[in-house]
Amino acid sequence: MGEAPRRAGYLAQAWLVVVLALLYGGGLAAVETLVGGRIAENRRQETYAAIPYLVPGADPGHTGELLLVGDDGRETKVYQAVGPAGEHLGWVVPASGQGFGGAIEVLVGLDAELGTITGLYVLEQRETPGLGDHIRGDAFRSQFRGRPAEVPLSVVKLEAEAEHEIRAITGATISSESVANIVNQALANLRGPLARQAGGGG
Amino acid sequence: MRHEGPTALERFVNGVLPENPVYRQLLGMCPTLAVTGAMKPAMTMAAATAFVLISANLLVSAIRGLLKPHLRILVFTLTIATFVTVADRFLAAYMYEMSKQLGPYVPLIIVNCVIISRCEICASKQGVGVALADALGMSLGFALALASIATVREILGSASWFGLPVLPASWPGWGIMVLPPGAFVTLGLLLGTAEWASKRRATTGIWATVRGLWSWRR
Amino acid sequence: METLTGLVLIFISAALINNFVLHYFVGICPFLGVSRRVDTAFGMGCAVTFVISIAALLNWTLTYFVLRPEAPVPAWAWRVAGGDPARELDLSVLSYIVYIFVIAASVQFVEMYVRRFFPALYRSFGVYLPLITTNCAILFASLEIMKQLQDPTRLWGLHQALGLAVGGGLGFTLAIALMAGIREELDLCDVPVPLKGAGIALIVAGIMAMAFMGFTGVERGVETALAALAAR
Repeated sequence: MGEAPRRAGYLAQAWLVVVLALLYGGGLAAVETLVGGRIAENRRQETYAAIPYLVPGADPGHTGELLLVGDDGRETKVYQAVGPAGEHLGWVVPASGQGFGGAIEVLVGLDAELGTITGLYVLEQRETPGLGDHIRGDAFRSQFRGRPAEVPLSVVKLEAEAEHEIRAITGATISSESVANIVNQALANLRGPLARQAGGGG
Repeated sequence: MRHEGPTALERFVNGVLPENPVYRQLLGMCPTLAVTGAMKPAMTMAAATAFVLISANLLVSAIRGLLKPHLRILVFTLTIATFVTVADRFLAAYMYEMSKQLGPYVPLIIVNCVIISRCEICASKQGVGVALADALGMSLGFALALASIATVREILGSASWFGLPVLPASWPGWGIMVLPPGAFVTLGLLLGTAEWASKRRATTGIWATVRGLWSWRR
Repeated sequence: METLTGLVLIFISAALINNFVLHYFVGICPFLGVSRRVDTAFGMGCAVTFVISIAALLNWTLTYFVLRPEAPVPAWAWRVAGGDPARELDLSVLSYIVYIFVIAASVQFVEMYVRRFFPALYRSFGVYLPLITTNCAILFASLEIMKQLQDPTRLWGLHQALGLAVGGGLGFTLAIALMAGIREELDLCDVPVPLKGAGIALIVAGIMAMAFMGFTGVERGVETALAALAAR
């Protein structure tokens, strides 16, 4: 068999693949049009649904999004918590860092004056089930509410006495400390840009 | 006229236990270990795999006359990848939390050997009805395998089943069962049990009786 | 320095702490199938590492420039075609198809290379070389890289993607070689008949996974150590 007929044979065989590829591509484009919007909405809701918890009284529908450059030179998306009447109630700042078992991603709620932490929400964590993953629970997270945002938080194993002390989860000291460090780092990084935004910007 | 190869009913029954994709063929291990920490993710994964397997088998069987030997694996892969994308998108749209929990294991259905092997062994050679029965049987078998492992891991590890508590609160909950070592050891022991059961005379006796009854009906 | 720290962390994480086989459960089929003898296992591990790296390189490039949301090439094409500037062309729905084709092509390329330059190795691999296409580990590495290219403010560069790929491949090689060593010993042991083969291999894998769990928390230690080193 000569070279030319064999090559023609391959070409003939390839038409099926090409036709299928086009059909499938069209099908996928249709699927994307159908459900793409819903997926994007789900992703936004992940963060937005937590905002009323983080900044009490905020209306998720009015939340504003900003891209700020932190003191470390990198961009972060922050959320402006706005009440139903349009009043600026506070900020929601995403933060992440290294935990015990992996990366921890949290959302920190701040009041408009950047003086108090109004809430903490854990988005992603891979801590030890039954021990470290109690950082998701209300008992640990509610400790952050009302803490000062200008002083670095520290974690203690026994009773938390001072205002900037958080009590660690029994058996998960490193996970607790990691969360506190992540919050501290994020606040130190973004306090300046947020203050400038609130003061100077619109 | 007799069809070539096993009939639809034979294909269906084969897929459930005798040629169970996990316990007998040892295929599709990756999702079997990864998502069986609890029943809900396991059953979601079984449903997604069933969707892809059935759709791919039906389509490949419908176009089996057009398949050329050199490019058939390419066609299988393209088809499977498309259906997996569809399944993944719909999961992300309508079951977002579960989609995040399953993570990269839904797209990994593309390289789940069960689907490609069924396309190659059955769908590319037999009619649409037989391919459908084969896909249904294999999906059921896969779901049963996942359910068996997930049941053991969830009950021992979290004292629950489908999220509902089934053991008294005094049960400490063996965390290791939910973690990777528990997955490996559970599958290993259950594989051993399946191997042991298949060799017992009671089991082979029952199968022989059932097959005899079927051939009598035909 | 921070880049180097991050890179070392990604590498160690993929190789040891979050080992592809023993933590993420990818690559189990060759892990069980090709781990009878240490030399075959090691060869398979190296082949997989090679393919993972090539696939990661190609997939990162394609994802960064074409397949992620807000990618430059579709944006340019959309503008040139006169599309509505308020909307964007998002090709990420084609990601999985592109990845699996790139992987199949990479395996094909590696197969040709090995057949040309290492014919003895090619013969010893037999049918397992083309089967690397269905190795979950390679697609998994590509999916992890895709995950890190979704947030426009925190994109992974090529060095990080390759760090993950090479680390993952070497971790796979380590796990499969260890398993082969243990199975060579197991051949001489009195294993109960139902558990022979895959059963006992999985139980051994479970114990290995438990051992590797001891690496949890090493990331923090390495990060602290490297930070202290950088400060000096």
